[in-house]
Amino acid sequence: MRFFSAIGWIVWKDLLSELRSRESLSSMLFFALAVILIFSFSFSTDEEAVRQLIAGIMWVAFGFTAMIGLGKSFAIELQHDCLEALQINPVPKGAIYLGKLLANLLFIVSVELLLLPLFVIFFNLDILAKLPVLLVIMVSGTLGLSALGTLFSALTVQIRAREVMLPILLLPMAVPVFIGAVEATRGVLGGEPFGFYRPWIDLLLVFDVIFVVVSYWVIEFVLDA
Amino acid sequence: MSSPAIRAELISKSYHHYQVLHELSFELEAGTCYALFGPNGAGKTTLLKILATVHRPSGGRLAIMGRDAVADREAVRLQLFLIAHGSHLYDELNAVENLRFALGLRGASPADREIKLALDRVGIGAFADLKTRYFSAGMKKRLAVAKALLVRPPLLLMDEAYASLDEKGIALVNQVIRDATQSGAAVFMTTHDRAKVAEVAHRAGVLRQGTLQELPLEALTTSDALF
Amino acid sequence: MSKFIVWLRAYQGWFGAAGGLCVAGGLYLGLVTSPPDAYQGEVVRIMYLHVPLAQTSLFAYATLFICSLWYLWKRDPVIDNAAHAAAGIGVFFTAAALVTGSIWAKPTWNTWWTWDPRLVSFTVLLLILIGYLMLRMFIDEPERQARFAAILAIVGGIDLPIVKFSVEWWRTLHQPLSISPRGISYAGAMLIPLAVMAVGISLLFVYMLMVRTQMLYLKQLLEAKKGRLLSRAHL
Repeated sequence: MRFFSAIGWIVWKDLLSELRSRESLSSMLFFALAVILIFSFSFSTDEEAVRQLIAGIMWVAFGFTAMIGLGKSFAIELQHDCLEALQINPVPKGAIYLGKLLANLLFIVSVELLLLPLFVIFFNLDILAKLPVLLVIMVSGTLGLSALGTLFSALTVQIRAREVMLPILLLPMAVPVFIGAVEATRGVLGGEPFGFYRPWIDLLLVFDVIFVVVSYWVIEFVLDA
Repeated sequence: MSSPAIRAELISKSYHHYQVLHELSFELEAGTCYALFGPNGAGKTTLLKILATVHRPSGGRLAIMGRDAVADREAVRLQLFLIAHGSHLYDELNAVENLRFALGLRGASPADREIKLALDRVGIGAFADLKTRYFSAGMKKRLAVAKALLVRPPLLLMDEAYASLDEKGIALVNQVIRDATQSGAAVFMTTHDRAKVAEVAHRAGVLRQGTLQELPLEALTTSDALF
Repeated sequence: MSKFIVWLRAYQGWFGAAGGLCVAGGLYLGLVTSPPDAYQGEVVRIMYLHVPLAQTSLFAYATLFICSLWYLWKRDPVIDNAAHAAAGIGVFFTAAALVTGSIWAKPTWNTWWTWDPRLVSFTVLLLILIGYLMLRMFIDEPERQARFAAILAIVGGIDLPIVKFSVEWWRTLHQPLSISPRGISYAGAMLIPLAVMAVGISLLFVYMLMVRTQMLYLKQLLEAKKGRLLSRAHL
């Protein structure tokens, strides 16, 4: 019981801090908007190109968003030695991981949802009917990035060059997430029948489960001596 | 006959192959306050952090409340509370929220009244709703003391207990130490201030070049150099 | 001085000599006496380097993976030295495998790069190894460096099969599988030099691993002695 309430406390603390400071939110929105504008400009007249590339463009933007959010995830603990306080707290380290993971997931997906209208506007998409499936893809893809990203955030926050190390460590390992997410998004936006691209969503979910479990198991070596 | 609050046997600690602590051994009974002195860089904070289970000793064995501090870490951490140099506070949260988080994470949910009492007791009741980003160092220290009051740990650890505090704050900390030891808790603190800690310390020691030497209590009231 | 290190020093020469002999023999067999491929001509000869290099890269990562698990279990610093050594040498072998693969691909497929599952997996492998070495570079405290690096290696080891699988899957949808460097059916005459090279390069890897592990071990020993001298000087 203490385990689950601890997760709740961490989600509460992280989301409340972010809501009040809006530090990450501004950088995430800015980068994503830059991606959208640059691609929109590059392909403004070529509708066929947009159709083929929109899934990739979306996940470039979502990837930036996730990378920034995940970096900040444990960076918040650097203030006033709060990481030390978390270390010696009797709560199991797995609960800290799950709390951070959940907070990251909620926050990053919320920002991605904020970006969707921008995609609709700039690329003339029609996604209303496809929204539920799109949401499933966004959540499972973001969960894949966050599962490893939260672990690596905990790790890199304790070393030098932390801001550059998180993407360096995460991006190669996240290749399956990008493949699955882009293919599934391309399927749903292209109007394909669900059965065609559903295997990609399965791939994402399998990746999610594997890496949440692995990270959960391994986090105590990262947060404790 | 229960085990002592702290039993340290041959504790050593090395950083980057540089040995900071050399096979320290000591015991601390419940209801006792131990004041640790020593020159800067001697390893006082390192020893304190090992007792707080922040760091693992490189050698030796440490038992807190009878449980092994390395193998039984979670159980040990339930028994102790650390007031460190860093305030362990989140800038965007106010005093009450910071307290609720720290306690909630330990599985405690004190009533509003208890929180208010604790904040008033340490003298920052008026600032309950202020973001701790705006707290002075002294206020942050007092908030840490309020946390300790709510947690009521069997072992209280304090690094530079009196730092940042004015006279009233120091008197407050001493009163808290007195209450704690009287109710059976053990207190282990590092400090530079002999006169202030003389009122509450039951034992004293000096950490010099990685070794610990017990001091007679009279040393706290003389003006001869300790090291 | 660790007993294991003494053993390494004693036997490294054997591995080096055996490896050198096999590689020399294999190169002779592969470049001089074996026939050119019916379809690919002389270009196929680079396979005698590429395939063993690729195999040994995987061997290097497997070594890194096992040493990392072992380190987390036993916390033996010598095992950590071995892991660190395996990663460094692994970068070299993986890069060489990718380069030789590229050299083969250009005349054969008329492209330097393609979304072949193996190629992508090896690139990700190289990036993970580089990330591993960078991570170690940015942590000074030896115990923490070893621990974090071990975690990264283990997570990477679990990730690599998934990467390969997802790219394989993607390819079957988007591009029919054409011939890849491993997909060639080798004529019997090619198998012998290939096998000799595989053994030789693996032995060379083990030799390099033994040498580098000792180097890293001695470096740490030196740091420890420095630290002890400094500690004593303080008194």
